[in-house]
Amino acid sequence: MAKVVLKQVTKEFNGQQVVKGLDLVIPDGSFTVLVGPSGCGKSTTLRMIAGLEQATGGEILIGEQPVNDLPPGKRDVAMVFQNYALYPTMSVYDNISYGLRNRGYSKKECQVLVEEIAEVVGLAPYLKRKPSQLSGGQRQRVALARAMVKKPQVFLMDEPLSNLDAKLRNQMRVELTSLHKQLGSTFIYVTHDQVEAMTMGDQIVVMNEGQIMQVAAPMDLYQEPDNLFVAQFIGSPAMNIVPAAEREDQVWGFRPEKALLRHAGVSSVGHADAMDMHGHIVSREILGSDTLYHVETDKGRVVVKTDTESLLDAGSAVHVTVPLSSIYVFDRATGKRIARAENGVRQQILAGGVV
Amino acid sequence: MRQAGLTAWKTVEWLLLAAVGLIFVFPFLWMFLTAFKTMPEVYQFPPTWWPESWQFQNFEIAWSSGPFLTYVWNSFLVAAGILVLQLLTGVPAAYAFARYRFRGREALFGLTLIALMIPAQVIFLPVYVEMSHWGLVNTLWALILPYGASAFGIFLLRQSFMQVPDEVIEAARLDNASEWKIMWTIMVPMAKPVLVTFGLFSFIYHWNDYFWPLIMTNSNEVRTLPIGISMLKAAEGGKLWNVIMAGNMILVLPILAIFFFAQRHIISAFVYQSK
Amino acid sequence: MRKAAAAHEMTASGHALGRTEATKARLNLFETIRPYLYVTPALAFFGVFFFFPIAYVIYLSFHDWSLLNLDEIEWVGLANFTALFEDADFRQVLGTTLIYTLSTVALGIGIAFFLALWLNRKAKIFGLVQAAVFSPHIISLVSVAMLWMWLMDPQYGLLNALLEFIGLPGYTWLSDTKSALLSLIIVSVWKGVGYNTLVFIAGLQSIPRDIYEAASLDRSPWWRTLTRITIPMLSPTLFFLLVINTISSFQVFDTIYIMTQGGPVNSTNMLVFYIYEQGMDFYNGGIASAASVILLGIVGLLTLLHFRVMEKRVHYR
Repeated sequence: MAKVVLKQVTKEFNGQQVVKGLDLVIPDGSFTVLVGPSGCGKSTTLRMIAGLEQATGGEILIGEQPVNDLPPGKRDVAMVFQNYALYPTMSVYDNISYGLRNRGYSKKECQVLVEEIAEVVGLAPYLKRKPSQLSGGQRQRVALARAMVKKPQVFLMDEPLSNLDAKLRNQMRVELTSLHKQLGSTFIYVTHDQVEAMTMGDQIVVMNEGQIMQVAAPMDLYQEPDNLFVAQFIGSPAMNIVPAAEREDQVWGFRPEKALLRHAGVSSVGHADAMDMHGHIVSREILGSDTLYHVETDKGRVVVKTDTESLLDAGSAVHVTVPLSSIYVFDRATGKRIARAENGVRQQILAGGVV
Repeated sequence: MRQAGLTAWKTVEWLLLAAVGLIFVFPFLWMFLTAFKTMPEVYQFPPTWWPESWQFQNFEIAWSSGPFLTYVWNSFLVAAGILVLQLLTGVPAAYAFARYRFRGREALFGLTLIALMIPAQVIFLPVYVEMSHWGLVNTLWALILPYGASAFGIFLLRQSFMQVPDEVIEAARLDNASEWKIMWTIMVPMAKPVLVTFGLFSFIYHWNDYFWPLIMTNSNEVRTLPIGISMLKAAEGGKLWNVIMAGNMILVLPILAIFFFAQRHIISAFVYQSK
Repeated sequence: MRKAAAAHEMTASGHALGRTEATKARLNLFETIRPYLYVTPALAFFGVFFFFPIAYVIYLSFHDWSLLNLDEIEWVGLANFTALFEDADFRQVLGTTLIYTLSTVALGIGIAFFLALWLNRKAKIFGLVQAAVFSPHIISLVSVAMLWMWLMDPQYGLLNALLEFIGLPGYTWLSDTKSALLSLIIVSVWKGVGYNTLVFIAGLQSIPRDIYEAASLDRSPWWRTLTRITIPMLSPTLFFLLVINTISSFQVFDTIYIMTQGGPVNSTNMLVFYIYEQGMDFYNGGIASAASVILLGIVGLLTLLHFRVMEKRVHYR
């Protein structure tokens, strides 16, 4: 069990910086998720922690010890790969015990440890099988067992669930979370799927283009995004962005579920406490409990999420109303969030007036 | 009408298939039949198809006409020794060519490809001179060492190593395995089909080889089976065809037996060169 | 007191740091040379038994020497080469080698091409015939040579018996200058055609099926499909076989040595057999190595051509 610290870590490939001066503290025992679009440097970061890539600059510490020059096998970390990376020619037993044998455990010790772990992950009946004779879920368990048996200080996981079908993926999410609670060790988990990040992590690191955009707990990330990138990356469907009233240098954002949609026929009164837009419904997606409307408004295309009662048809003219308390204000140039939504917008309205 | 035409064509095609098959298989059958005939029956014209009485002693005569046990043992030692050496040199080389980036890699691999193309007949004379300088002429070393590395083997193994996913190797590195250990415990087992293919190719090639042992040996203690068999002809004045054919069956039968059981592997082993 | 302790600590840690730096450097050095260590054994064998001999035989070709006494070796410049080209025997040897090579390659590839088109089918019987056609390829040339000597025996051989059976006169095969070379060509084609056939079949099977489906939708007649699709798509395979067959035909030795010893009247004496006789039997080391260099030149040119074309890819893929 250890915390992991990255100090000004950079990585270059062929003169191109893919990780740009990362500063990050991953607390001991946390479940930290690195999330971001593909190519954002999250996997490279993980692989530098594992020692599979050499950091071009900066320092990496695992439990106070600098590890930059340690080979992967000596860092006391274990990794679960996206495609499991099981040794295809070895039995499940040998797959799990290979790392122990390389660390100098005797055959006897190995047997005890492997059998124990096989019991935990439910692989006991399959120890003699080859990976090719196992289902996807079982292979995933072998990969987990192979990592767990070494009792590492840090678990690294690189999109470990992306090869599973939706049902199994949900089940494994729950299992991994409870496994983390049970083991209490540090988990660092890479994914491009923000839903996975939100449901599993207790600390989420959002990355883009080699930089950290924000580090926060899931709900904070959703409610208090630091910048436009995080605001639009977290949450599905993404936050709507519209031009700010009267101010060229700002944009406003609001979440689709915070907007109210009304038929244009219903008379609407301008509200000092809300932003009002006119438009017509371009298309409609019924998701079951919710409905998404794509609305072309005078301020651009927005998405509105409502419940499924009283459906509106595509083509109808509508009003979209967003309470000012739900509007986030961002700087157009830097993408930084300017102030707490409510205050910022109020002041603006007082200054220029929307209505 | 059409049905009949189709059946007629089918029959013709079957006959053609049988004819083609016979052109290539019948000579071996003829070898087999001759090996069991008596001398007078061999020199009968027109020849008989089936031996009048099965003469098993032809094999005994052939076998005892020279130190055939030594020949067989030498052939085995040479073919097996070459294979072992080729694997010991080829596996690390193929691993390096497939998995590391290093200065001069392309050039060194290019040299390997050149070695793949140019046959032994071109350079047997200077190698013979080398061997005589080292006093190795007429030893088994002279038969084994020149084939100690196989360009074809390196080429095949490299292809196979390149197909191993990076993650498997990375997983092994995280499992604290050394590069050397990864090579032999992860990569080599994964390349098993290719190793079998290459092993068959190399063994058959050197088991059959006539040219190199002919050049390098001049006494019975180090001669191999093909040489021993070819001397059968010299010893018997080229006349005792029944004994000669019996001797040749000793050389041919193991290979045909392997071919029978591992046909797919052998064909892919020999045809693979084309890819 | 405390200062001293601190200083002591510092040197200790400085020392430790220095040591890790050194190990690090050593490790890095080892990682750099590791690939070279791995390729060295194989390349050492190639060097000693392949690249050095190539240089050595060129060196030897400019000298007069013999296997009888390797210490006596004398520089003669191009004398060996001039002697070779002025020698009518050698010119004949080259000519015979050329005829042999051209006929073996043309027949071996031509027959294989048609066999491949015919035998490239899924049914079991076709697989069986493929295996049969291929089987001579894995048999020792010694046995193949002796077997065919017996089949071609002018008095008691099976071939003449068959000829007589269908009412034709017996043939002279290996015993006549007019027919000995042809006999060797027949043996070589018989042994090698199966390999070519299977390589062609592998090539045919790698042509995507949908191209043929598109052609048949375009109502392309079979001969146009053959000349416009199959043959162009097979061109890399064809080229590979041309090079491989040519190189291996130039190396013909075993059949000559066992079946004809270059005779009758030198009519089947070819390049490698000539080198062997000059070097090993007549002890004309210089002449033999000069002839080896000529062979090396031919094979080297073919190899170069092969690599060139491989780079450009005679492909439509």
